[in-house]
Parts: sequence; C-alpha cells; structure tokens
Amino acid sequence: MSSDDFEQMYQEVILDASKNPHGKEQFALDVTSESSATAETGVQANHEYCTPGESHQFNPTCGDQVTVHVEVSDSEPRRIERLVWDGSGCSISTASLSMMVDLVDGKTVEEAMQLESAFQQLMQSRGAGLDDADEKEALGDAVVFQGVSKYPMRIKCALLGWAGLKDSLAKALAAS
Amino acid sequence: MVAFNDIRDQFPILGQKIHRHPLVYFDSAATAQKPRCVIDAESNFYETINAGVHRGAHELASRSTVAFEEARTKVAKLVGAAYGEGQEEIVVTSGATAGLNLLATSFGNASQGRGGHEAAGFALKPGDEIVVSKAEHHSVLLPFQELALRTGATLKWFDLTDDGRIRSDMADEIITERTKVVAITHVSNVTGAITDVELIIRRAHEVGALFILDACQSVPHLDIDLHQMDVDFAVWSAHKMYGPTGVGFLYGKRDLLEALPPANFGGSMVELAWMDKPAQYMQPPERFEAGTQPVAQVVAAGAAADWMREIGMANIEAHERSITAELLKLNDIAGFRVLGPVDERNRIGTVSFDVQGVHPHDVGQFFDSKGIAVRVGHHCAQPVHRHFGLFASNRASTGVYNTAEEARQLVETADEVRLFFGV
Repeated sequence: MSSDDFEQMYQEVILDASKNPHGKEQFALDVTSESSATAETGVQANHEYCTPGESHQFNPTCGDQVTVHVEVSDSEPRRIERLVWDGSGCSISTASLSMMVDLVDGKTVEEAMQLESAFQQLMQSRGAGLDDADEKEALGDAVVFQGVSKYPMRIKCALLGWAGLKDSLAKALAAS
Repeated sequence: MVAFNDIRDQFPILGQKIHRHPLVYFDSAATAQKPRCVIDAESNFYETINAGVHRGAHELASRSTVAFEEARTKVAKLVGAAYGEGQEEIVVTSGATAGLNLLATSFGNASQGRGGHEAAGFALKPGDEIVVSKAEHHSVLLPFQELALRTGATLKWFDLTDDGRIRSDMADEIITERTKVVAITHVSNVTGAITDVELIIRRAHEVGALFILDACQSVPHLDIDLHQMDVDFAVWSAHKMYGPTGVGFLYGKRDLLEALPPANFGGSMVELAWMDKPAQYMQPPERFEAGTQPVAQVVAAGAAADWMREIGMANIEAHERSITAELLKLNDIAGFRVLGPVDERNRIGTVSFDVQGVHPHDVGQFFDSKGIAVRVGHHCAQPVHRHFGLFASNRASTGVYNTAEEARQLVETADEVRLFFGV
C-alpha cells in the first residue's frame, strides 16, 4: 500500500466525522469498566408508536464495539424514527457510524436497506468504488470510504455500524 | 485424461531409494505424501506473509488473514460446504481427533446447561443414546464413549458383516427415539469399506438425532458433497489429503455451529471478557478456534484442496480403484486373508490383511527391506480387528501417486513372505 492509499483511507471528512460523531449517546454497557452494569437493561423505545431494536457488534481486530439502537414506526411505511449508538472504536468505524446516522435516520426501512446494500457493495469493491451513479449519489459523503475498501482488515471497521443497523432493524421488525 | 505419472513427479519424496530399492509408498491412510505445491505454499507463507491473523493493522497481518480465510474457502469448496463471511461452515482444528473431542466436549458442556436454550439440542441425559459402530477408529469411539460416561447416556453400536461392512440395514433397530447422537465412519481405515451412510443419516434425522461423519478416509479419495449428504457435522485431517500435519477441519451446518457452545477457551474466540461476568463469545468459526492457529499449515492445506479439485476427485477415485483391484489379489495368496470387502466396489484402496503364521511387525519389516512402506498394528481400531479374531494386521493403502505396477510389486513381494519366515 502506498502513502497515497493511506491518505485516501484517512480523508479529512472521515477524520472530522470520527472526532464529532453524530448519533452517539450513552446507554450501553461500558466495556472499559469492570463495574459496568451487569443486568441486561430491557430495550425501550423513547418514541410513541414505535418498536425498538438493538444490536451489539464487535470487531476483534480493532476491539471496536458498538450497540446500535433503532426505533421503527409501527405504521406503514415503516420508518426509522430514532437511530442512536453507543460504543468505542477506531476512527474508521466511528466515522462510518456517524455518516450512517446522517444517511438513514428518518428514512424508511426499505430506503435504509438500499443504502446498506450500496455501502456494502462499495466496501467489497477493493478500491474500485461503485459503478452506479444513483447509488453513489445516494451515499453522499460516505463514498469517501472507497479508500478504506482497499484495506481488507479495515472493511469490517467501516461495516460494523451498518451490520448493527441491519441486525437491530431485523429485531425491531420481528418484535412488532 | 489425467496424466497420473506427471502427478507422481510432483512428489519430491517419492524419488528416493529405501534400502537400495525405489520407494513404494503404500501408507497413505496413515499420512499422505505432499506435492511440491503444498510444500511451496507452506514455505512461501513463511518467506513472504507470516504474521498473526485477525489481529494488527499492518500489511503482513492483513495478507496473513486473507490467506488464512482463503484457505478456509478452498477447503469448503472441496467438500461442498458454505463459505463467505458470516456463512462459514469450516472450523480449523489441530486434526480430526481434535474435531471429534471438540464436539464431544461441547455436547458435554451443553449437557451442563452451557450455551443456553439454543444449545439444548446438544444436551444428553441418562436414558439418551449415542450410536457408533464397531468399525470406528478410536478417535470416534473414545470421545463419545467418555461423553456417554459423563452424561449417563448409553453407548450403542452397529455391528459388521462378515467382510467388515457396517450393518446399515439395521439402522431402524439400532437408532431409536432415544438416540441423540450418531457418529459413524464414512470409510473404515482398516477394511476400506465405504459405509452406506444414506440409510443411517435418514434414520438419524427421522428420530431427531445429530449425525457426525468421520470423513478422514473419504475426503482424500472420494468426491464428497456434505450438503447433499445432509450430515450435521464432519471431521477430517489435512495430512491425509496431501496437506501438512497439525491441521484438521470440522464441518458443521451453519445453524448448528451458531448454536454450539465452545469447547476450548482462550484468545481469539471471545468478544467480551470480564472478571466477574460470563464472557460473550464470538460467532463461528472463530468461537471454536481458541489460541494461535497453525496458519502456514492451514494455507498449505488450502493449496492441497485446490490441487485435488484441479485433478478432479472423480479422476482420483477411478485411478485408485484400478490399483485397489491389484492389491485385492493379496487375498488369493495362500495363508493371506484380506480384512474387508474383496472386490473393489464400494471400497477404497485401503487393504488390510492377515498373514497366517507371520506377525504383522515381521511382515512389515520384510516389505520395508524391499523399499515398500505398509502399516502394521491395530491401526487405532481394535474392535474391528477383534471382529476378525485378530488384534493387529498389515495394511497397504493407496494414494494418488501409486501405480498398478507398484501394487503388483507389493503382491509379488507378499508372495515371498511366508517362505522367508518358514511357514
């Protein structure tokens, strides 16, 4: 990997997003503290007429871990009314979570899954990026992760939050 | 048409002489020799890639991880298992024995409530039954015999026909509603007989039991599709399929692996570990791969799997069958008895035989003096030897590199054994 590749991975927009990430709140157990709460706290919705879902994701390479919390409207079309996360991780996973929140909070579940699929494709592109102009456009700032897709060990970092989104949405839909 | 002479030339070890005779290696059921591409894959890994897997942000760690996971995929393709992130059905073990012990230990842990309600399907209690066969290698028999002793379950077994085949026709009687686990060899390492597993698998699933296949002697010789066979778990070792020692594989249906509690604990298999709370374990396959893995050897085993697929398992099967037919002529020598089916149908080229009046160790020494390597002893399968009224035997077993000419040479040499020892 050249230093260009390195700079393409750590683009300014990624570094900025990782410093001030969107959607981060404190609600999950703190893995840095032994005395963190032991009791499983029930997943609750803050919004009325919504079903919540939560997913804990872990990346053994970095030690990144995140709990993604979604609340999905009970009425059609099923919409993401609230999306927050708690956890700690590398700049790639944190920036990816932040941009994911910007992209999908307020979107319908269907729209969110389309974005998830586009981002997944981007990360599997081994640096080539997306061919589909509409998908590129839909991903907005998140296309900067194209540079990360050249690093096999970091793909999981970028996908961590999205894996949490997919899983927590599935749980919310199954629960309602 | 595959040029098996050229394939033989890919094995550096076979070029040497033993006691002034060209080496004739008929002990592949113990361990197969390694082709150049497998040896190169292992040394190349150490020369250009070596680093820990699933760890570290540096380039070598990345290459190492990719090579390790690619090898997992190659092995999966050889046996018709699933692959791809989150879908993996191949677990790396240190050998088939380790894979069987992993399952038995894990079932034992489930029997004590570990793994929660998801693992309840693996739990055993007094009154439950575990079914094996009399043809099992000790690596199948003993872990499950011990599991039965630990849990109070009853160990039952399939008997054998006179020529050593597992009595699959008895499946409906031996496997009952109380049966929870059935562990059977696909091919006996003594008789070479291919088990009619279809009947047994169907019956096991009919009563809701898990079916475990010992595929050590079938993966190197037969075209196998574990999905099509519908086995729940399978084990085999890399070194019998032209790969390195120290590595084996455990196959499990993905949903079963996801529900299976871990058996070995330590690094690289845990997401969160605490002093005062139970740990949260990783998803398969990592959940079952505690500690540093034999990465170079796994990568080389992947090269072996690709190499076998390139030759074509059907081609390997046909080539070895022609050699088997020659080896079975041992049964025509006075005082010789082949332990197992005496025609080459539904069997592989693992041919064990008894020589009346000459101890196996002496027979083996005689063969060795002519440069021919065969195995002697009970081949880690005492019950099947007792079935033939013996404790030990001689065993000639084929590999992809053997020739019909070598088999004829072995039979001719065998013909001199009794004369030499004066019986």
